[in-house]
Amino acid sequence: MSEYKGPPAADPGALGVGTSRGGSAMLVAQSGLAPRHGRAGGILGGLGPLVRLLQGWISTYFSLLLLGMMALAIGLTGVQHGVTLMGEQIKNALVLGAIYALVAIGYTMVYGIIELINFAHGDVFTASGFYAFGFASLFHLDSLATGSFGGLILALVIVFPLSMIAAGVTGALIEFVAYRRLRDAPRLAPLITAIGVSFLIEGIMLVVEGPDNVTTHMASWINGEAFSIAGVSVGYTDLFVIGMALVLMFALGAFVRRTRLGKAMRSTAQDRTAALLCGININRTISATFFIGSALAAAAAIIYSINYGVLKWNIGFHLGIIAFTAAVLGGIGNIVGAGVGGFLIGIIYVFGGSLFGGEWSEALIFAVLVLILTFRPVGLFGVEVTTRA
Amino acid sequence: MVKPTKGLLSIGTIAALGVLAACGTSSTPTSSSGGATGIAGCHGTITVATDLPLTGGDATDGPFPQLAAELAVNQAIAHKLLGGCTLKYVSKDDSTVLKNGHDPAQGAANITALASDATVMGVVGPFNSSVALAEIPVASTNHLAIISPANTNPCLTAVVPVCSDPTININTASLYPGAHTYFRVIASDVQQSEIDAYIAAKVVNATKVYLIDDQEAYGRGLALLFKKYYTTTEGGTIVGQASLPGATSTFATQISLAKSEGAQAIFFGGTTGNGCGLVRRDMGSAGFNVPVLGGDGCEDTKFISDANSGANTSEAEGSYATSAPDVTKLASSATFFSQYAAAYSTKAAPYNDGTKEPYTAYGYDAMNILLQAIHATLVANGGQPLSSPQAFRDAVVAQLRNTSYDGALGHTTFDANGDTTNTGFTLYKVTSGNWVGVNTYAVDTSGKVTVKS
Repeated sequence: MSEYKGPPAADPGALGVGTSRGGSAMLVAQSGLAPRHGRAGGILGGLGPLVRLLQGWISTYFSLLLLGMMALAIGLTGVQHGVTLMGEQIKNALVLGAIYALVAIGYTMVYGIIELINFAHGDVFTASGFYAFGFASLFHLDSLATGSFGGLILALVIVFPLSMIAAGVTGALIEFVAYRRLRDAPRLAPLITAIGVSFLIEGIMLVVEGPDNVTTHMASWINGEAFSIAGVSVGYTDLFVIGMALVLMFALGAFVRRTRLGKAMRSTAQDRTAALLCGININRTISATFFIGSALAAAAAIIYSINYGVLKWNIGFHLGIIAFTAAVLGGIGNIVGAGVGGFLIGIIYVFGGSLFGGEWSEALIFAVLVLILTFRPVGLFGVEVTTRA
Repeated sequence: MVKPTKGLLSIGTIAALGVLAACGTSSTPTSSSGGATGIAGCHGTITVATDLPLTGGDATDGPFPQLAAELAVNQAIAHKLLGGCTLKYVSKDDSTVLKNGHDPAQGAANITALASDATVMGVVGPFNSSVALAEIPVASTNHLAIISPANTNPCLTAVVPVCSDPTININTASLYPGAHTYFRVIASDVQQSEIDAYIAAKVVNATKVYLIDDQEAYGRGLALLFKKYYTTTEGGTIVGQASLPGATSTFATQISLAKSEGAQAIFFGGTTGNGCGLVRRDMGSAGFNVPVLGGDGCEDTKFISDANSGANTSEAEGSYATSAPDVTKLASSATFFSQYAAAYSTKAAPYNDGTKEPYTAYGYDAMNILLQAIHATLVANGGQPLSSPQAFRDAVVAQLRNTSYDGALGHTTFDANGDTTNTGFTLYKVTSGNWVGVNTYAVDTSGKVTVKS
């Protein structure tokens, strides 16, 4: 239960889903997001009150139910296969979850501020992975990073900012070219554009990088075992992946909470017109949001590259959809929610696969997506439905 | 369907002259060479065809067996294999722009078009098992022989336990509404998985194997067949099985499970593009050091680069995969490859070198086997084509059943299902960053695996 980061809605750092957007056409209409109270007719007519009660109950305790099931899955793995496997799978889940979390934050930030599901985000992830690979080859960072500990730090200090800036520029450029003009168009228009941009980026990467896995050599930067508990070997790479993700997420949280730009982002997310009236440069703020979200995707891509060592032109799409589920799970628009959601999805993916077989991992993730949209559409950390309607 | 032979005579003669003129510069046809004995007076036109994917994503595969088959036809024309009869060759492409490669619908349309030409007596193709599923019924209904140089799906010819698996779901009987006219010169996945099971038990010495497949017809089929033969014939235990999509970026969950279950080897049914090498990479991260064994989908250089992409840059070492024997190394294929290189020296690379693709020699032997069968049919009929095209086609199929041919691949005969009995698979092992052949194994019809060389 250690993943449970506190009670829902008590989240000052979140961008938050606006409370005063009553009339705007959301991708998923708010009324549709809410539990369907009192709709049970027909045969279930007599059961109406009971169904309502049950739905309300599931909705209220959804987080606890989900976390309870996860705890059960983890426990079952421990009972069935022993503590070592349980520990290994927790490690696998956290490593996977850290990457999902960083990508999910990009989705949730963009959604929070302009209510757009930026389908191109997963491909920005892949593209920035290739940027990092490019920088690493350009500056011969492989020999530097594998040479000594100081060299590794230097290589990371070079590759992270450069790739994050390049990815940030890419993200801001995508917003400027593809989404800005459509900001006031019907919701479907930018959504379709986003899918188009996604295919465009994938196409470019396919042509430039070829159809096969590309070895980035970054997996050799960090290696070796850090420590071992109960037969579970934890490598430095595992610590790096999880630690780096947490550092980046807390840095982002502090940025959104403490800085002027962060405040501008929060206010733009809450009410764009009012923010404009207060003298906030909306365009610049939205560009900054895309920049930061994409920069985090770049960080995730470097972490991915250091952990897995390969990139492929289309990995971002698949990973992006799972990360998007993480964002919905945490409450779309909520940064802390996306971070926690990423780790939870990691747990569902790994333990679902461990208990039921790998072919069920993704089915379970998307089953959770369906359940959450049905019973608790605001997500685990979202704002209460009553305050949004 | 029936075209009068007389009507064709003049056209055939003109065509023959044209073909001979075209060949005249590169070879010197002799009017009475050995192949024409008894059938020098043959009248009429006989057409053979290929149906292979030549464009789009398959442009790196299909053209090699196509060019090899065309070479076989040109050699037969030059040697007047069919005596006085005119031998014509038609090349069909089953790729479409829509699919950016092989398209079963196009394949079926090609076979339909070829079957409606009464002079067509056989087709070499198709390349892909999915195309074969669409083509076999058409060929069967029209009595037309088709010989595949590359289909390995076992369910195309015989019912094996995996055919009813939901991911494969092939009803073999429904493929043959008419005669069984399908043959292949390449061994099927049944033989490969029997050999893989043998290797897991007897070469790797594993009694417990963890199974991963890529959810595709080839990979899942191979994994299920492996499971069957490994548990029954070899008496081993499958300690776990996972079926993961090709987009899977990490197999860490499954590796941890396999480790926890004490697996002594991991068998991967699938292709490198769907994660064969990444499994090996993740084993390195998990500190799990047992051999990985795969089928021909894993035996490529991408496996080695993928496996070595993790922290351990020599992780691929010691991995095993079986694949069709390296035909470029066979003594029997040397002549063919030099003839191919001579005939296509003006082609752009890589098409000027037949050794660049594993199926080149299969295309050559398939066409030669077809031409031999037509030749035998003519000889048996007193040196003349049968008057009824359907009877002629049936006779060619009957001759194909009796095939005993020594070609580039070695000695080929067909069993009752049309499968080749020339079933060697070579075990390769990653040694110093390269796949190195260890041994070639053969399996007989009773399932007994022996070391061939």
